[in-house]
Amino acid sequence: MKEFKFKSNINCTGCLSKVTPVLDSEEKIEAWDVDLQSVDRVLTVKTEELSAEEVKKAIATVGFSAEELTA
Amino acid sequence: MSESQIIAENKAKKESLPVTGMTCAACANSVETILKNTGGVINVNVNFANSMALVEYDESTNAEKLQKALQAVGYDLILNTENASQIQEDMQQQHYQDIKQRTIWSAILTLPVFILGMFFMDWIPGRWISMVLSIPILFWLGQSFFINAWKQAKHGKANMDTLVALSTGIAFLFSVFNTFFPDFWHARGIHPHVYYEAATVIITFITLGKLLEERAKSNTSSAIKKLMGLQPKTLKVILNGEEIEMPINQVEVGHTIVVRPGEKIPVDGKVISGNSYVDESMITGEPIPVQKSKGAEVFAGTVNQKGSFRFVAEKVGGETLLSQIIEMVQEAQGSKAPVQKLVDKIAGIFVPIVIIISIITFATWMFLGGEDAFTHALLTSVAVLVIACPCALGLATPTAIMVGIGKGAENNILIKDAESLELGHRVNAIVLDKTGTITEGKPLITNVHWINENESNHLSSILLAMETQSEHPLGEAVTNHLKSEGVKLSPIEKFDSITGQGVTAFDEKGEQYFIGNERLIVKNKISISEKAKNLLSQWQSEAKTVILFANSREVVAVLAIADKIKATSKSAIQTLQQQNIEVYMLTGDNKQTAAEVAKQVNLQHFQAEVMPSDKANFIKKLQQQGKIVAMVGDGINDSHALAQADVSIAMGKGSDIAMDVAKMTLITSDLQAIPKALNLSKKTVIGIRQNLFWAFIYNIIGIPIAAGLLYPINGFLLDPMIAGAAMALSSVSVVSNSLRLKRAKI
Repeated sequence: MKEFKFKSNINCTGCLSKVTPVLDSEEKIEAWDVDLQSVDRVLTVKTEELSAEEVKKAIATVGFSAEELTA
Repeated sequence: MSESQIIAENKAKKESLPVTGMTCAACANSVETILKNTGGVINVNVNFANSMALVEYDESTNAEKLQKALQAVGYDLILNTENASQIQEDMQQQHYQDIKQRTIWSAILTLPVFILGMFFMDWIPGRWISMVLSIPILFWLGQSFFINAWKQAKHGKANMDTLVALSTGIAFLFSVFNTFFPDFWHARGIHPHVYYEAATVIITFITLGKLLEERAKSNTSSAIKKLMGLQPKTLKVILNGEEIEMPINQVEVGHTIVVRPGEKIPVDGKVISGNSYVDESMITGEPIPVQKSKGAEVFAGTVNQKGSFRFVAEKVGGETLLSQIIEMVQEAQGSKAPVQKLVDKIAGIFVPIVIIISIITFATWMFLGGEDAFTHALLTSVAVLVIACPCALGLATPTAIMVGIGKGAENNILIKDAESLELGHRVNAIVLDKTGTITEGKPLITNVHWINENESNHLSSILLAMETQSEHPLGEAVTNHLKSEGVKLSPIEKFDSITGQGVTAFDEKGEQYFIGNERLIVKNKISISEKAKNLLSQWQSEAKTVILFANSREVVAVLAIADKIKATSKSAIQTLQQQNIEVYMLTGDNKQTAAEVAKQVNLQHFQAEVMPSDKANFIKKLQQQGKIVAMVGDGINDSHALAQADVSIAMGKGSDIAMDVAKMTLITSDLQAIPKALNLSKKTVIGIRQNLFWAFIYNIIGIPIAAGLLYPINGFLLDPMIAGAAMALSSVSVVSNSLRLKRAKI
């Protein structure tokens, strides 16, 4: 299981509601979460098969952007 | 299509369309990206502040297609309408009406379920009626609880929605099972109960709570729209020696712009000719207009006074100081993490505990239950979940907040946002703006000394006449003062103003008079008496502006002008300090004035000559030290800081924009309302806590009974009587406790 962390522009619950259907419907994502309380709005995605690029592409379809955070 | 503009050559269409569903600046980005990636779109620019998308697209697509693309993600476009903004407002109104309708429906459907459940519990057809009525309440009116609970559960979290969904869902399913298969229990010697009324009353009460909360909130803020309104839509530019009027978005750096008396300055730049005073209060917060002559910088949104001048545009569009303030306010508003509500915090802990108790109950019965172990285990573990959710849960916070907001209004404190009521009591640092907050915000005559009192009548009418003609912003303070004393105008002639020094004129007898600063007097070799000199230096040391009035030989009067400190400021600050709250003053004014004001109101911490963004940064720094910061201000220059602060308070006499950004407004502009507001917050939060206690306590008592703790003693298990009693007691306790807050003194 890989875990990616992204700095995102998912700023508020409104944004979250736009991203949710996309990430929920992607079957290759095991679990995901956005920490709206954090400054970077960290998006955490747990997935077996997807690459960071593919996750970025998924949320780009609804117009949001993310940058991978390197630990 | 009044707002559309058709460009004939390439058949591309440029349209300004209102967007709905954007809640923050990132949403605007999202909309922009989606539109950009839609086929046929040439160019797109989305503005979050006014919720508009400027789209340029060719004939391969149309507005309906764009709308579909956005709808797929959860936004929407408003098409083909003349008054789009009206529609947006209607939609907000619709949202409230929607909740109201839900509440009414919920109540109408719940009432028969409640009556059947309470008084005709053994009437079998009643169960079927209740079930049918409960379905729309839970799964239509209450569907958001289940959706939210599911979302939370996926993230491994629990909040109030989880508790509501869990408890009402289980109660419903359990009741449905008992309605269809009562024999399952009868065969095991147990009389099955239904809990439809518990589930429906909870949903109704919470919906009612949401309605109360929504009603207490005033309309969404339009601060950004107002800020943008500060910039004029068109401006006059000199091109090829000719003056032409052009729209603001076509101006370029290097254009020479003409500004007439009373006009707003359209972009940032540098004055090349002319002379005037400019009201820059929106940027600096200082009420006295600033003199502008060749070489001086001017800023977009500031207001030219009586003169006119030309300047060269240096920063246009998004580069101007005003645009940057707008952007910063937006950013600060959008970047704030939502405050977790107390009720959600409690639910987050309560839910797992209840689930654990339910599991323990099940396990214990399985081990110790004897022959009917499984039946009892199932019955009791379900009953624990059914009784867990307090009916009055949804009323605990809204009723307290509603009373709190009402109480605030009685005390001239307008509270726009419940969040500030929940945060106010934790404030331990307050940042005050100086001008207009601690002080009155307008220059007033503080001292007048006539060298020869006998001549004062005659001379003051000349003084009034000269100041009436003067363009100097401080002249108004003098004329207002003299007029209030009933001084009449005396005829003067040959009025002349000497830039940077003062004015001069002659009376009917040919005597020349001067009004101005010390430089004017010295330059004209007019003698200053010892007394006048002393007053001059004394008042200047008190950070006042001193004006000298003289005839051609000697100074005849000395006047001092200052921005007076409000009568109540000092005692209000003292009260706050006694409550161990650190009080800071930030001002765009000079150090000397700041120090003098700080001394007079007994403030140790202050900073002078700060820019609007510095104020916000100062607050950020305090927040990083773990402080909960309240900002009190009145001007546009404070809006960024207000947006940054945890609790924001505006002055009722201040700018509309500050009032829009701030979550609280002191209508009287009296600082003594600040301790009151904080105290009110404290009382409200205590009220919320008490309410939550009263809401939960009866149900918590019910949990052991539901778990079957009394069964070994007297064979007692949960029945609708206990659930009903908990329901009634918790609701009555919560409502009466909230009403008690109404009588509290603040």
